[in-house]
Amino acid sequence: MIWFQLQSLMGSYPLALRGLGMTIALSGISLVLGTILGFALGVLRTSGSRLLDSIIGLWVDLIRGTPFLVQIFLIFFILPELGVELDAFTAGIIALTNLAACFICEIVAAGIRSVPTGQVEAALASGLSQWQRMRQVVLPQAMRVSLPPLVGQYVLLIKDSSVVSAIGLTDLTRVGWLVVQRVPNGLLVFAIVGIGYFVVCYPLILLARRLERRMSAAHGEVQL
Amino acid sequence: MIEFRGVNKWFGALHVLKDITLSVEPREVVVVCGPSGSGKSTLIRCINGLETIKDGDLVVDGQRLGDRATNMTELRTEIGFVFQAFNLYPHKTALENVTLAPIHVRKIARGEAEASGREMLAKVGLGDKFNAYPSELSGGQQQRVAIARCLCMRPKIMLFDEPTSALDPEMISEVLDVMVGVAEEGMTMMVVTHEMGFARKVAQRVVFMDAGAVVETGTPEEFFSDPKTDRSRAFLSKILRH
Repeated sequence: MIWFQLQSLMGSYPLALRGLGMTIALSGISLVLGTILGFALGVLRTSGSRLLDSIIGLWVDLIRGTPFLVQIFLIFFILPELGVELDAFTAGIIALTNLAACFICEIVAAGIRSVPTGQVEAALASGLSQWQRMRQVVLPQAMRVSLPPLVGQYVLLIKDSSVVSAIGLTDLTRVGWLVVQRVPNGLLVFAIVGIGYFVVCYPLILLARRLERRMSAAHGEVQL
Repeated sequence: MIEFRGVNKWFGALHVLKDITLSVEPREVVVVCGPSGSGKSTLIRCINGLETIKDGDLVVDGQRLGDRATNMTELRTEIGFVFQAFNLYPHKTALENVTLAPIHVRKIARGEAEASGREMLAKVGLGDKFNAYPSELSGGQQQRVAIARCLCMRPKIMLFDEPTSALDPEMISEVLDVMVGVAEEGMTMMVVTHEMGFARKVAQRVVFMDAGAVVETGTPEEFFSDPKTDRSRAFLSKILRH
């Protein structure tokens, strides 16, 4: 019986690979976009404009305070009502990028706030422009604080990407649902799905741990 | 070079600078002293715009602070500022600390900036520490790097905010020696310090502040041997007792 099921599963491996590819593509693109956007938001949030800070803060709280599934449904089902047609992949990318940006914004802003004011004053006193102060003095030191939780956040976001299967994207989780209809052994199928996620996430978990250890050795800056 | 005319500043309800009128001539060395909380740090932090003034005029190198025409970032490149806590960039080596602003602000070629950076570090006695990170240097060494970092910008004015207060006693003189050298080269300097030996040696004038106001100014000889006010006498008896 189990032998038959395994054989049947073997037949599903192209589908599984497609699902894994979809999960990687979706998370990869969203993490890159979300990181860029999250950094920009984090820098803006600490730029000293109270208005920008509270607008970004409100948005971040809104996104962090609502289930990701609900956000995806809003983007995929509600936006078309307003005349914005999106395919499932684009909707998934938008939702996941937005979620990533919000979490990363908070991590980056916390890192920037952890840099002592004396550092900014020294940079200011030597005539560095706002961008140069950020780029040369503040961000390298903020990254020391931010990098380990940032990588940890990537792991959470990759796992959160499984929620997009709800709008019909054939990612790793959805492949699990499809296969289990043919091979009625949920434990086996979803164990394999779980292993798929773990294979992607584990290197990142190791990286985060390594970065955390390196923090104490580095001179205020994490060297990869 | 620096001119305060009727400058006032408040932190909330606290009147931290009271009607300050004071001028510093080119190549002059002025020492500012006074009890803690008297507003001396605030006074010199106003000169490069780390603090803003509420009313009155503050003219630095011919430019009035707060004017629309005054580019604060540009003016700051002409003013070196040495902090009590050094504030070196911990993620950069000594040489990177002193070349950062010359390269990015003055737009000097890296090779040239590094050559003069090495020269300047050697001049403050750190010719063997180019590649050391601040965490690998003693307090006195860090403060000397901080002074070299300012000098590398070839400033017209140098401001020192209690440069030796955070140092162990045995490191104070190595920093003061460097400052004496800078003064002897004709730099315009304003120094907040309680190092009266330094004041006697290089200052043309001592400014005594208390409770946000300039109470007394005079040459070091006048001030130390014959303080004019009760408050300066009380202050001097406290710091010179030991």
